[in-house]
Amino acid sequence: MIEKTTPSEMIVHIGPQHPMQPGPYRLNVKLHGETVVDLDVELGFIHKGIEKILENKTYLQGITIVDRMCYLAALSNEEVFCGCVERLAGIEPTPRSQYIRVIVEELSRIQSHLLGFGEFGHFIGYASMFMFTIKEREDVLSLLEMVTGTRITHSYIRFGGVREDLPEGFEEKCKKVFEGVRIACDEYEELLRTDTIFKERSVGVGVLTADIAKEYGVAGPSLRATGVPFDIRRNEPYLVYDDLDFNVCTQTEGDIFARVKVRLDEIRESMYIIEQALDQIPKGPLFAPDLPYGRRTPVMRVPQGEVFFRVEDPRGEMGMYMVSDGSDKPYRVKVRGPVFPTMQALPPLIKGESIADVTAIAGSMDSCTSEADR
Amino acid sequence: MDAKTIIDSISNEFSDSISNTLIESEIRVSAYVSSPDVVEVCRYLKESLGFDHLSCESVVDYIKRDEFEVVYHIASYDHPVVLTLKAILPRDNPVIDSIVDVYWNANWYERENYELYGVSYTNHPYLKVLVLPEEMLGEWPLRKDYEGFPQKTAKNLV
Amino acid sequence: MGEINQNITQKTNEKVEEEVNQEEIPGVITTTSNAISDFIKKTAAQDFINWGRKNSLWFMTQPMGCCGVEMIATGCAHYDTDRFGIIPRNSPRHADVMIISGYVTKKYLPALKNLWEQMASPKWILAMGDCSISGGPFYESYSTVQNIDEIFPIDVFIPGCPPRPEALLEGFIQLQKKIAAKKDKGTNY
Ligand code: SF4
Repeated sequence: MIEKTTPSEMIVHIGPQHPMQPGPYRLNVKLHGETVVDLDVELGFIHKGIEKILENKTYLQGITIVDRMCYLAALSNEEVFCGCVERLAGIEPTPRSQYIRVIVEELSRIQSHLLGFGEFGHFIGYASMFMFTIKEREDVLSLLEMVTGTRITHSYIRFGGVREDLPEGFEEKCKKVFEGVRIACDEYEELLRTDTIFKERSVGVGVLTADIAKEYGVAGPSLRATGVPFDIRRNEPYLVYDDLDFNVCTQTEGDIFARVKVRLDEIRESMYIIEQALDQIPKGPLFAPDLPYGRRTPVMRVPQGEVFFRVEDPRGEMGMYMVSDGSDKPYRVKVRGPVFPTMQALPPLIKGESIADVTAIAGSMDSCTSEADR
Repeated sequence: MDAKTIIDSISNEFSDSISNTLIESEIRVSAYVSSPDVVEVCRYLKESLGFDHLSCESVVDYIKRDEFEVVYHIASYDHPVVLTLKAILPRDNPVIDSIVDVYWNANWYERENYELYGVSYTNHPYLKVLVLPEEMLGEWPLRKDYEGFPQKTAKNLV
Repeated sequence: MGEINQNITQKTNEKVEEEVNQEEIPGVITTTSNAISDFIKKTAAQDFINWGRKNSLWFMTQPMGCCGVEMIATGCAHYDTDRFGIIPRNSPRHADVMIISGYVTKKYLPALKNLWEQMASPKWILAMGDCSISGGPFYESYSTVQNIDEIFPIDVFIPGCPPRPEALLEGFIQLQKKIAAKKDKGTNY
């Protein structure tokens, strides 16, 4: 706990409700003058016990629950959950459904990065950036909505397949939206490069070096901004990422600017992946015909065993450890979220910076409290 | 580095404490470790085998066997092998050494395990509640014999 | 207006004499703002005031869950709530409407109550999403608080998991109607 030691120090509580925060958490900041001398993070304001709930729900019901774990990356949560069950039960998703999954997950990455990027602008006082990116995000969300039927909590991926096929006219709409997003990305980049205030606030602030980032267990864009090309899609390929061509976007500086830049680059990269996937997508069924449990099977028993499976969430490495005891409910589910270690890395990262940069640094990590708390 | 070399290497180095090694696939291996040696094994893994990334640390409550299993998922930023290291603890007095010295980011995982399961870690720098409210400490909500779940206070339950 | 003023002074005079039994100072009339607002409620002036209030419902952005993201999206460019006078504000002191956008946990409830106290009256409260209405998918969790409507005076419930931004807008419009019809709970706070 943070305690005052000398009279010239002051403690500022940031949160649990603060414009900087995408969800409630609290930063207790000890200041000396304007410099942060100590800091601690309080979590748990939206801890809802997802792991316990999952133990008491059947596998199919579990999909809806993991959806609500991180509301900006619902599809990668579903992917990791369904991936675990598929590995336990020995199911292989059909090729077509694998491609569809790649498409929707990348779409979800785009919308998440757009929001993260805009939010960061908002945190450093650049509110119009938020308005810009939300506009693009709505377009991307409308694409997702076309496929899955909902905007943020999809319940779309199933064991061994997906719930619905791609709708008609999806490809054309995709092309149209991507055109807009590409233009917007270029504009944002131009803004970033030329705006002095933005650069003052972000270049050389909150620097994370590769060694320290690894030590802290950080993954995702924050790690890639330090020059480590660590991406689960490449290191431990799942779905059809092996057949697709994409770059792992990295920067070397490790500061706020680099993190934001990585996110922007990843938006472009994701669009490229989706276009390839739309070109290559094979025809075929969504579920294997001999699958014992398909789209709507309330009771499925999964053989005894345990599995640890990782996917690349928009925010980094998302892992899930699932133990099955042979019944229709998982025995234990442990979620390794990407935000948990990122939040943990905040205190050492912010220490020594000035109070005005706290929001900028914490915001640039693109944290999602819901998933850190679970 | 492939799965087999890793398993051979740790079982040679710690022939007393490592048991039940298993190669599940090319990128997943698992082993049981006797609980007093966890820190030593982790240090060896980190320094000699390149396992520089603690991916996850969790606890599983095997109430039928009256045991807790502390599960460490240790991965690397360079190779794709994930080692699942498990230590067995008795259910009535679960105490194990903290590995914060080796893996810095184990800190919060251990705090979480402490408040949800009651596994207490020796040598931990700050073993306090993380996500639960202060007054819920001691209920150990994720244990299988926890009585407060499901909560029945909602008035519109059917 | 003259008549109204006279009425106020008369009425409050009586009240003050009855309740407070204050010393009468010649030429000075003492009254309380509660007494004034009680009186105004009975007149047509209240309609005018409510018309003003209902057209500037500033809400507090305080994302608490998945619904919070939809709440943010509603306040932004695409759905443009500004045209109804609904503007997102970050500080509870500026806000008129608090939206409970998600699950209320045992740890967060005290903070939420604080936020609610900090808001200046008149203030209203909306329950957005199944979680705040009835627990939603987390109704049996060990860490959430149920039956929020017994804790806060909620005016409008917006069902959905999450409700679409259009639904949130509709919720605001219902609140406006309620305020215009003087049926809301919030004004008395
Ligand atoms: S109602 Fe549904 S979408 Fe809204 S906070 Fe609850 S679980 Fe999330």
